[in-house]
Amino acid sequence: MVLDTILTNSDLIIISITGEKIKLKHRINRKSNNIDPNRESQKYSRLFRNFTVLTIVCSLIPLLLVGWGINIHYTKFAKSRMINSIQSRVEHHGKIIKLFLEEHSSKLKLIAFTHSKSYLREPAHLQHIFEMMNKEHSVITDIGVIDENGRHLAYIGPYDLMDKNYSQAFWFAEAMEKGIYISDMFMGFRKEPHFIIAVTRSEEGKKWILRATVNSQAFRSLVENVRIGKTGEVYLVNSDGIFQTSPRFSGNIMEKAPFRPGPYHDEATVNIFKGGNPESGFSNQITAETWLSNPQWKLVVKQDYSEAFADVNHANFATLIFLHLSALSILIVTIFITKYMISMIKKRDIEAENLNQQLMQAGKLASIGELAAGVAHEINNPLAIILTERQILLDLFGITKIDDAEFSRQLKESMDQIDVQALRCKTITHNLLRFSRRTQSMIETIDLNQFLEEVIDLMEREAKTSGIKFIPDLDTSLPPILSDPSQLQQVFLNLINNAINAHEGKPYGTISITTRGDENKKGVQITFADTGSGISQGNIEKIFDPFFTTKEVGKGTGLGLSICYTIIKKLGGNITVKSKINEGTEFELFLPFDLPAELKESMTDDDQNELSSTRIKI
Amino acid sequence: MIGSKILLVDDEIIFTNNMSKLLTSRGYLVTAVNNGESAIRMLEEKDFDVVVLDLKMPGMDGITTLKEIKKLGLFTETLILTGHGSVDTALEAIKIGAYDYLAKPCEIDELVEKIEGAWQQKDADEKKDMQEKIQKVIESPSDAFKLFKKKK
Repeated sequence: MVLDTILTNSDLIIISITGEKIKLKHRINRKSNNIDPNRESQKYSRLFRNFTVLTIVCSLIPLLLVGWGINIHYTKFAKSRMINSIQSRVEHHGKIIKLFLEEHSSKLKLIAFTHSKSYLREPAHLQHIFEMMNKEHSVITDIGVIDENGRHLAYIGPYDLMDKNYSQAFWFAEAMEKGIYISDMFMGFRKEPHFIIAVTRSEEGKKWILRATVNSQAFRSLVENVRIGKTGEVYLVNSDGIFQTSPRFSGNIMEKAPFRPGPYHDEATVNIFKGGNPESGFSNQITAETWLSNPQWKLVVKQDYSEAFADVNHANFATLIFLHLSALSILIVTIFITKYMISMIKKRDIEAENLNQQLMQAGKLASIGELAAGVAHEINNPLAIILTERQILLDLFGITKIDDAEFSRQLKESMDQIDVQALRCKTITHNLLRFSRRTQSMIETIDLNQFLEEVIDLMEREAKTSGIKFIPDLDTSLPPILSDPSQLQQVFLNLINNAINAHEGKPYGTISITTRGDENKKGVQITFADTGSGISQGNIEKIFDPFFTTKEVGKGTGLGLSICYTIIKKLGGNITVKSKINEGTEFELFLPFDLPAELKESMTDDDQNELSSTRIKI
Repeated sequence: MIGSKILLVDDEIIFTNNMSKLLTSRGYLVTAVNNGESAIRMLEEKDFDVVVLDLKMPGMDGITTLKEIKKLGLFTETLILTGHGSVDTALEAIKIGAYDYLAKPCEIDELVEKIEGAWQQKDADEKKDMQEKIQKVIESPSDAFKLFKKKK
């Protein structure tokens, strides 16, 4: 349409017909359409940020809190179990040592109290007892009988100790006093760490002592052979802090331990030393201690903290890794979902924008309608005057006697021509008025053939300038159909416009418009076939997509056919396309005789009344 | 009908002048006014058979004028003649009581044809009304004076 071109190519239109009342202003505010892309992207990135933060707050934080809570709880539980187990271990080992010492003290006591001194001072007897005691395991290294003055009465053992006098030895007095005595480790005459068990018996008013040296190898292996992991060690210290067995790492037997053993108590205790603590002598270690009552030795089980809790820490580490991996995956999924959502929102926004564009397009069309109506009206008035003037002249000519035949002929011819041309103008203005009326949407009965002819009329001039001829082939038996003429007009104008444009570069061509009623399908088949350049196979699939255009940027919105498709579908019809490159394109439309029920229902009562009233021809 | 009294209402003075000449030469008694207000005044003063009314006029427009004419309750038919080609306005005019609708520009013969139609309609209405009155007079002669006095 010529008017359309004017509207789309300029921002401000003032149409003024000289000396007349009409002045139509039309301003299209393009600026409102051009949204700043920078602000737009900022809006989306803000939306993205908000969504992400919200999802993180709602999902990640609770997950992490629960995860960390469970982890802390579990660690506490596992550690207390670990501590219990180390405590029961030290108790168990303590019991074994205690039993060992008690067993051997009892044996010696039994021997002392069941045999007389005179019997035991016989080396053969003592030898027998020594052998009996060591029969299963070598548990004592020597055995001796000592009189009240500290002299050896008999001795069986690897050392030559018969002439030794023990009256000054520290254990002698203790043994004489207490009756039974187990010594700490000492070097003594044999110059190697050992300890003795001494039992005192009073026979005929005189005390004597049965003394045995415990096989320190056997005893020490009882403690030293206990292996706990890589860093664990078990050892005994006496109440003065002297190692009674060799620890695996922290010293040797008979050496002073680097810590004070503390006072005696019954319970087994567990201590955890974290960080360096020079006073305690431990750092990053867990220790379990229990006191033996006789002698007062302390059994210490000690292990590096990190090793003792390796399993717990490992489990902890695994859970934390799992937890944080989960958190990370949630974060990633959140970001992806948010991105997807934002892209959906963007898509919806674009769709809304498209709809807006379509509305603007419709608004534009309505303005054109208004403009057309105004123009038509204002042209009709002078036309009416011209025709009345002509009639006056004709009337006058009828009553005036003029002999000049040539003048009469010429006048008549001119008058006829004035009539013909005025009527031509009338056809144009009436078509414009009809066009304008159809920019308002309404449902009415339409004689499709006549309707198409009017549309062809409207487009004929433009087609002619492009060397294109219309070939209408209309089914005269077509019944009137019920539809929306404004929307149909838009579709037909669009299709014809496209068909005309398809002939660009071709000197001439045709547009065939065919209508065929189909009683079976209860509708009309309308075909628009052109001889234009055709559409390639790749493009034909996208042809009804919004914003798809092969025209240069700024020349086409790409909305035309998409709008046609939407309109025809809404009116209960169908539109298909066939095309051959360089041969032409054929659009096939199907329109039902009647409107789809849901469209009818949406019509107001007023519309229904309008339907029943006859259409008035202008 | 030769001698019919026609009131032409159109804001285009040249048009009303021309139309007056044409219709007068065809035997009609034509009065022309150029706005709705004058038309109403004229109708109050004189009797007319047919009013030819333009829809789009400055001041009182055609539809308002038509409503005013109808309010007067005369035996006058109104013919709409306008360059404004909206069906809606045409329908509205006919609903209000216009006889018919004719779009400008039109041939003088077309207009004459419509005017004749309008006159016949008016004539028929008038006759029917008269008959009804006569009927009433026959039925109750006492009311006769009242009836005829009432008719303006």
